[in-house]
Amino acid sequence: MPALWLAVIVLALAGIGYFIGRARALKSADGDIRLLHSLPSYYGSNVAMLTAVPALLVLIVWTIVQPLVVNMHVAGLIPVSELDEGVNLNLVMSDVRRVAEGLQAAVAQGALSVQAAANIDLGAVDLRAILGSVGVALGSDVTMVTLDAAQQYRGATATGQIAMTVVVLMVALGLMGYTLSKTNKELRARNIVERGVKIALISAAMIAILTTIGIIFSLVFNTIEFFRMYSFSDFFFGTTWAPSFGGGSALGVLPLLWGTLYISLIALAVAVPIGLFAAVYLSEYASRPVRAFAKPLLEILAGIPTIVYGLFALLTVGPLLQRVFGDGGLGWMDAASSVMTAGLVMGIMLIPFVSSLSDDIINSVPQTMRDGSYGLGATRSETIRQVILPAALPGIVGAILLAASRAIGETMIVVLGAGAAARLSLNPFEAMTTVTAKIVSQLTGDADFASPEALVAFSLGMTLFVITLGLNIFALYIVRKYREQYE
Amino acid sequence: MNDMRLTERKVDSKEIKIEARDVQVFYGDTHAIKDVNVDILDKTVTAFIGPSGCGKSTFLRTLNRMNDTIDICRVEGAINLDGEDIYDKRVDPVQLRAKVGMVFQKPNPFPKSIYDNVAYGPRIHGLAQSKADLDEIVERSLRGAAIWNEVKDRLHAPGTGLSGGQQQRLCIARAVATSPEVLLMDEPCSALDPIATGQVEDLIDELREKFSVVIVTHSMQQAARVSQRTAFFHLGNLVEYGETGQIFTNPTDPRTESYITGRIG
Repeated sequence: MPALWLAVIVLALAGIGYFIGRARALKSADGDIRLLHSLPSYYGSNVAMLTAVPALLVLIVWTIVQPLVVNMHVAGLIPVSELDEGVNLNLVMSDVRRVAEGLQAAVAQGALSVQAAANIDLGAVDLRAILGSVGVALGSDVTMVTLDAAQQYRGATATGQIAMTVVVLMVALGLMGYTLSKTNKELRARNIVERGVKIALISAAMIAILTTIGIIFSLVFNTIEFFRMYSFSDFFFGTTWAPSFGGGSALGVLPLLWGTLYISLIALAVAVPIGLFAAVYLSEYASRPVRAFAKPLLEILAGIPTIVYGLFALLTVGPLLQRVFGDGGLGWMDAASSVMTAGLVMGIMLIPFVSSLSDDIINSVPQTMRDGSYGLGATRSETIRQVILPAALPGIVGAILLAASRAIGETMIVVLGAGAAARLSLNPFEAMTTVTAKIVSQLTGDADFASPEALVAFSLGMTLFVITLGLNIFALYIVRKYREQYE
Repeated sequence: MNDMRLTERKVDSKEIKIEARDVQVFYGDTHAIKDVNVDILDKTVTAFIGPSGCGKSTFLRTLNRMNDTIDICRVEGAINLDGEDIYDKRVDPVQLRAKVGMVFQKPNPFPKSIYDNVAYGPRIHGLAQSKADLDEIVERSLRGAAIWNEVKDRLHAPGTGLSGGQQQRLCIARAVATSPEVLLMDEPCSALDPIATGQVEDLIDELREKFSVVIVTHSMQQAARVSQRTAFFHLGNLVEYGETGQIFTNPTDPRTESYITGRIG
């Protein structure tokens, strides 16, 4: 039985269990709700929860594990002698799976009868043509070994499916029966359901944490692989970035880090003052209607996809800068792509980030502080400069650091606005590139995945991850320290 | 209530410091203060008493235009400080508040050092000519607020680290440092324990030598202990205003009598 149908059946069982459980609990108290330990709906939920959750978990785990087990089993059946020179077992297995899927599809669409599919004589039928007619194209004619393995594969899969159906239904029905037998007015159903809710919440949190750990591991292993092939010191202290896919590349990270920091610095130099002043205006000076109108409008900026900012850099800001600083003007700028172009546009992107966070922080400075200052005869700007901003400073620093880690991780604006040349230079009107942009260019294309030129992307990613992680931790530390001041 | 003490109390000054005539305050459509006429004397402690929501704090805040910071608040009538209308267009509320200082219900020291808290007002008003001058103002203010001995060894520690009573006296020192002529206190002891309250009350009595003090309080005992004159507010009206002894022992209005005997409020 397909997994989807099984899931529907389990859920239906849970629904039925809900009503039976509820009714049983009520009956055990002779219909008087006050005699029950919990509300009737808790007894129902208890039965439904124990019916559905374990059974669905079994279903999920089984669906994931079964193909792996079947694969291993069938792979063990293929004789090593049958493998041609240089042919990978994985390639043969993927052929086997395709043939098995094809046979399945052929039976489902009526191109082959169940009987015929089980006993195929390769001499008599052109299996490749049949499978092709049901939409499964094969690269070569089916060999005897592959067909045997495919038949084995189909058999094992079918057995697994039946076993899964039986087990899942047994788990669901068994637990439903057990829970129902326990359901009476003394059962602490509410406590059990509450515990179930707690576990659900914990697992939601765990998923986020585990994913982070998974990401780190996937980076770490590839990074280690890269450093086996490429010297540690050449990577971190090399001043040239010149990958060549033929081998013999220079993969020094310094020009990329410099580009990243330079562009981020310009971006922050734009975003921090503008964002901060906007936040001060919005929280201290703006009247209520202006604020209600301007704040969401400013936050819309945060919703624009970065690729659109990239286009803005490429088509508007770059040419504009070139007209002023380029050949026709001051002559400092060769092309529209430059650190300045990307930095300015990225700064614009970060304005709502800085202003929105700072605005919240400034607003959370207690009104009594303002009153105290106004009560002493301070003007508005004196109050802001001498009382509010110092009080909000740690939070604002946190906001700026969060903005900085976004700037460092930004890709699209750099790709479109800053050019692609890795260069160590102080001139902000020259094209440079960043770590993120180079990760993209190293992983796209036909490079051999096992070469240092491709694997360097992971160590670049790891470097970036460590930098932004450090910044984020520092920012969170500061923001948290600030919070303690008023609570 | 200690009637003996009340009758001994005498008002030293007859000079009018603040004169309010037909004052109306509106919050949006709400008429919060109605036709209040009151003369606040110089070098006197005046207490505003009344049940919650009667408008005594609102009226207090009109005396240094703190209500200006609330958009929907509107004041009508005349309030004269030394004969000059403080709601006149030519009056800068910033300068007014330097003359009419304020201490709030909850201690609100700035997140700065004790020294910087007290020096805040003198700095923004340019009252000190040198560092030594500023040091002297800070010391005088802290002594004036009876907190000097407790903090003199840690002037550069944060003001937020003091206890509640110390924080409130620091806030009083901060207000005193700008040399105001009138000091408004909005329930200055409501967040303090009895010991700290006693200290602040003693302080208020000392402050009377230099300024006119107006204090809003919920505690009638406190009003009786610290003030020479008392005003009773009810539902936005000034019901009765007179010598504290007279208000507490022989009120003329039946509403005042009901309140001080605990029947309304």
